[in-house]
Amino acid sequence: MEGKIIVVTSGKGGVGKTTATSSIGAALALEGKRVAIVDMDIGLRNLDVVMGLENRIVFNIVDIVQGRCKISQAAIRDRRIENLFLIPASQSDNKDVLTTSGVERVAKQLKKEFDYVIMDSPAGIERGFENSIVGANEALVVCTPDVSAVRDADRVIGLLYSRSLTPKLIVNRIEPARVARGEMLSHEDVLEVLSIDLAGLVPMDEHVLISSNTGTPLVLQNESKAGHAFKRIARRLNGEADLPVEVPTHNTSMWSKISKTFGFNK
Amino acid sequence: MFSGLFKRFTTQKPSKDDAKKRLQFSLIYDKLEVNDATLTNLQQDIVDVISRYFEIDKDALELEVKRSDDVSALVFNTPILQVKRKEA
Repeated sequence: MEGKIIVVTSGKGGVGKTTATSSIGAALALEGKRVAIVDMDIGLRNLDVVMGLENRIVFNIVDIVQGRCKISQAAIRDRRIENLFLIPASQSDNKDVLTTSGVERVAKQLKKEFDYVIMDSPAGIERGFENSIVGANEALVVCTPDVSAVRDADRVIGLLYSRSLTPKLIVNRIEPARVARGEMLSHEDVLEVLSIDLAGLVPMDEHVLISSNTGTPLVLQNESKAGHAFKRIARRLNGEADLPVEVPTHNTSMWSKISKTFGFNK
Repeated sequence: MFSGLFKRFTTQKPSKDDAKKRLQFSLIYDKLEVNDATLTNLQQDIVDVISRYFEIDKDALELEVKRSDDVSALVFNTPILQVKRKEA
């Protein structure tokens, strides 16, 4: 059976696209799927360091598209998580070296070799964005609960719709205490403004920085709340569409635990 | 649990309400930012439709996007010279 290409995009930079891509990819691999994560940010690669694979790069996505190597030669196998591969971006080229038709051709090959191909789109809505959505079957838009990220998300959602993709939203870096104080947009506010379906809610989590410091997958840190949220997003993508979205809470009292169990604050 | 109670005694509106409102308006404005070619095409189409029913002064017409605090409107203003006789 042919695999699926999921593009992760945001418009605005720095909202956690790379973390989302690597975590969802790793979580899908933990679910037993064969996963390739592709860094489409040509010239500004980051997934390799975040995933701790920067010392093992030989070839990159530009080499594949330009026919200098095979997919299997460029894909770096993760040694901690089985069936997880990274295809890094090139660091020396700029975004214009890739053509849409070239990427589309490689995307078709990738679908034959992997169950899931996760494309990490660069920030912005230029050529690099176009290239990363060209072969996509599904799209995820990442935003944080602030005005600039939400506005950019809206722009990107519009562009995805115009390419016949119906994106789903990940609201990242939610700080439940601030939401409760009315200092931060709630996920309901964001969803109402953007009128889009939800893929998942991810709380602000100190583990994200720590795991990127060491290049270890967030989803392997059991105590990471963000990692937990990304695992659930991956399960939702992987056939469990009805898995309830957990709303991050700051209250760890008995009552909130009980109401969470019974799904009162879905 | 007490935050709701606390809120009731404070007069300050939560800043996220501002954020939401400003976002909703800016998203509408963003989408109204149409380029000149679109506006010209739109104007031509509107003229074509109206001309089927009315004879209008094509040189005096105005098409503009009006924005105020809580509404945005597309305003098309044209003097009507004559009502056309409807063909049977």
